Amino acid sequence: MVFPPRLARADEAAEIIKKVEDNLNGRSAVLKIAMIIKTSRATRTMKMESFSVGSEKSFIKITYPGKDYGITFLKINDAMWQYVPRIEKIIKIPASMMLQSWMGTDFSNDDLVRESSISRDYTAKILSQSDTAYEIELLPQPEAAVVWGKLVMGVAKPELLPQSVRYYDEEGVLVRILEYTEVKRLGDRLYPSRWVMLPQDKEKYGNQTIIEITEATFDVEIDEEYFSKRALQRFSE
Amino acid sequence: MFFKIAVRNIRAYKKRSIITVILLACTTALLVFATAYMDGSHERMIRSSVEIYPGYVQITHRDFRDSPSLENLIFDAGQVTAALADLPGIAVLTPRYESFVLFAAGNKAVGGMLTGIDPAKEGRVSRLWESRKQGEYLEETDSALVYMGSELARRLKVGVNDEVAFVGTGADYSFSADTLRVKGIFRTGLFDFDNRAAFVAKSYLDRVMGAENYATHFIVLPARPEEAAELAAAIGERLGPEYEAASWRQTMAGLVQAMRVDTIFGYITLGIIFIVIFFVVMIYTMLAVSARLREIGILRAVGTEPGQVWRMLVMESVLLALVSVVAGGLIGGSLAYYFKLHPIVFSGFEEQFKQYGLAMTDMPTAFAPLVIVRDMALMFVLSVAATLYPIHKVNGYRPIEAMHHV
Amino acid sequence: MFRITCRIAWASLARRGSRSLLVVLMIAMSLWGLLFLEGIYDGMTEQMISNAIRSDSGQISLFAAGYRQDPDLDRLISQTEEVGRLLDNDRRVRSHVQRLRQDGLAATAHYARSVTVFGVDLGAERAHGRLDRYLIAGAYDFGDRKKGVLLGARLADKLKVKIGGKLIVSAQNSAQEVAGVALTITGIVRANNMALDEAAVFIDMDKARELFMTPTGVSQICVILQDEQDIAALRQELQQRFPDLEVLRWDEIYPALLQGRVMMKGFNLVMSLLIFGVAGLGIFGVMVVSVLERLREFGIMLAIGTSFSRVRQIIFTESFILGATGYLAGSLLGGATLVYFYHHGLDLTVFSQGLQEFGMDAITYAVIRPQYFLTAFGAVMLATLVSVLIPLRLLKKSNPIEAINKV
Repeated sequence: MVFPPRLARADEAAEIIKKVEDNLNGRSAVLKIAMIIKTSRATRTMKMESFSVGSEKSFIKITYPGKDYGITFLKINDAMWQYVPRIEKIIKIPASMMLQSWMGTDFSNDDLVRESSISRDYTAKILSQSDTAYEIELLPQPEAAVVWGKLVMGVAKPELLPQSVRYYDEEGVLVRILEYTEVKRLGDRLYPSRWVMLPQDKEKYGNQTIIEITEATFDVEIDEEYFSKRALQRFSE
Repeated sequence: MFFKIAVRNIRAYKKRSIITVILLACTTALLVFATAYMDGSHERMIRSSVEIYPGYVQITHRDFRDSPSLENLIFDAGQVTAALADLPGIAVLTPRYESFVLFAAGNKAVGGMLTGIDPAKEGRVSRLWESRKQGEYLEETDSALVYMGSELARRLKVGVNDEVAFVGTGADYSFSADTLRVKGIFRTGLFDFDNRAAFVAKSYLDRVMGAENYATHFIVLPARPEEAAELAAAIGERLGPEYEAASWRQTMAGLVQAMRVDTIFGYITLGIIFIVIFFVVMIYTMLAVSARLREIGILRAVGTEPGQVWRMLVMESVLLALVSVVAGGLIGGSLAYYFKLHPIVFSGFEEQFKQYGLAMTDMPTAFAPLVIVRDMALMFVLSVAATLYPIHKVNGYRPIEAMHHV
Repeated sequence: MFRITCRIAWASLARRGSRSLLVVLMIAMSLWGLLFLEGIYDGMTEQMISNAIRSDSGQISLFAAGYRQDPDLDRLISQTEEVGRLLDNDRRVRSHVQRLRQDGLAATAHYARSVTVFGVDLGAERAHGRLDRYLIAGAYDFGDRKKGVLLGARLADKLKVKIGGKLIVSAQNSAQEVAGVALTITGIVRANNMALDEAAVFIDMDKARELFMTPTGVSQICVILQDEQDIAALRQELQQRFPDLEVLRWDEIYPALLQGRVMMKGFNLVMSLLIFGVAGLGIFGVMVVSVLERLREFGIMLAIGTSFSRVRQIIFTESFILGATGYLAGSLLGGATLVYFYHHGLDLTVFSQGLQEFGMDAITYAVIRPQYFLTAFGAVMLATLVSVLIPLRLLKKSNPIEAINKV
């Protein structure tokens, strides 16, 4: 009764977001992923393996299609490198490329780099809740280097798994929607196994990128070796 | 009759006639030459910037110029080529596939533009082939060989036969990367272009980027470059609303405007010279007719009508003007013709030209007979007009007054 | 004596009133036109140069060795204090600023573009190159918390942003990581310096240090001097004093602008020669005729014992009066026109697209230099005096007695 109700709710919202992130990332995660990219012209599938520790470090290796096999990505904090076996080169992604599309998907390099820093970069507020879900508004911290004006995240109760994230620009125009669906048991937890990114910009409207998580193991020890530049080439094979 | 008298008078006042003719002829020559130089240099500037790379007419997907994404490519290049095969006025039609990639050599990674071209045709529509500085130009069948801008090569620290890797996105958004060998290095002199651009054979790039039969745009070299705008319209009509055909007047609107500003200032400058010449001609006519005041007075006294005197004097100035303008036109015209064949070279001003997007320093003049005749007509009117006031003034004297005038 | 000479000269000019008036008008008009052209053309060139100097190069710029070849945060000027102190204490230096720069990316929710990020001190930039005058929208201010950003006009167009909007600026920092910062757009600048208008993002120097993780050092020190004359000397001194820095003059950074200036000077010279040549021809014709017409008159003067030098004086005076009157009228007219365009400028906004393409201002303010009037005075005087020489020869050759009996 003493606390102002709004503060209590903000705290509660922050708690929820933190939990959602933990549920999504785990302490560490090893995932097998299929990515389906649909444009008005074509549909394309990629497969990859991902190794991550929290949200700070991750290592990705492309396994399909054959011609891209062995392309690896390493992300440590805010820096990103890639290795391309065909050219036998490790390339550091320059700042000016960070907002370019990652592998032609509707995700940018930057999305990968700062993918799960929502709890760090945003202040959360519960907009509404029903018996089955919360709707949480996320406003960027004044200091946070994020382009969005606001996010609205739907979170399923009681598992605290994300349902959708709507990305708005500063003027409140919806720019893209990320949907998390098909929750099923993966590894030790319930997990949304299908993520769909739907750009809403005029130029890309109608495209979509689908991420399907086919296998997942959480909270296992991952060899630190994965998170070094040497690994890019070494684990490319 | 007036004609004979006029000729006799012109002969009689030789010095005045000669000076007037020289003055007017020189001015006409100056005007003709200045116009030829201005038009010629503008055409050269436009040609040069258009021909380095952008081309006279660009054909793109209708939305490509507003939003140059992979969604707005030309997806059936063959169809475009076929549709335009029998359109008159096209000298060369060639597709390009441009793609932004990351170049990497050693530990250097630099963003740039990798473009697939048809080497033979490209050599005719742009300056790429002529700008070769080292190594060789591309050939159609070249695989994984790159022809690279000099500044880009410098930044990557590579030379001919060195390896450069590129990483980019294919037309199907797939990942695209390969190792290229530098076949040649070009330098157009345009820093920005030399700093970003690299070329490979289109057949090769189509394979690596999954872009068979695709193009970002087509470049058209018109049979008559001066009719680029009309040709663009004709192409647009032929291809229908799915495509856009833009002439250099649209793609390089800023340059067109800058040339217009330059022309305006050119004419202001010439205008000021004309004002001075106008006065000089007027003064000389004044001197000439007032020296003949007594003669005119006598003519009037023996019963010649003022109108007849007027006609006689005007006929004189018309004849003088005609002779001068023709002489000046010939001089100016031959200068224009000579400097069209042997362009004026501004060595030491390369940077200045580069800033205007020009990688050359020679400026041929234009030789356009119609424009020369126009300038001659202008000078003719001007020089006759300059004599009217003095003639009018002299004619205003009464016969007795004039006879006694010293 | 001289007064009589003047009176005679004046009287004979007045007798041929309309002729004299034409000559005066001719000189006045040609001078007017010439002054206008010189002032406007110099204005254009100098404005372009000044834009480059003010917004970027200064008259002298210092860089760390190798920085220009390969701009990197590893190659910064470290002895900033030492250089600063030296420049502060040099009387020839009017102002100097330090800048930190790094290539990066500016992004909104919709668009992203490659940019050049400049860390600057707005106060110093105002005093130095009057950067504030280039502001076309918003405020020349980074706000209380220094979270503002000024960006180039063309960049703002391409990113489709407005004042007050959010801009994420990221760049690789000295630890080789990509760091980003959220900023608010406080102003938009157009310096008509293509490179800047297209890609410049100005942020507070301290913000830039934070972002790039470079607590010390700067990329460039720009210097503007009190007097252009001292550039070469100061440059040499700086180079000797700091051998491990690259010290460059503005025209080494923007060679095109220097060539533009040289070209314009040549053009002005040709124009002056042409105009004064033609005008001289006009005066010449008038003086020849007026001497020949008065051979009898001069013959009588010589016959009654007037010395030839006296006659010469009269003729010179006539010519001088014509020239001087024309010069005065022309300078007044031309001067007034230049003063007008000096204050109001010649507005070519209709062509702004074309002009901006080449880094020129839409409004050109005329330049007024005493030298225009001095050169013109010299040229007019030369033309008037030279044009009398042949008539005088004619007079001297002719026999006065013959002249009296002539006609």
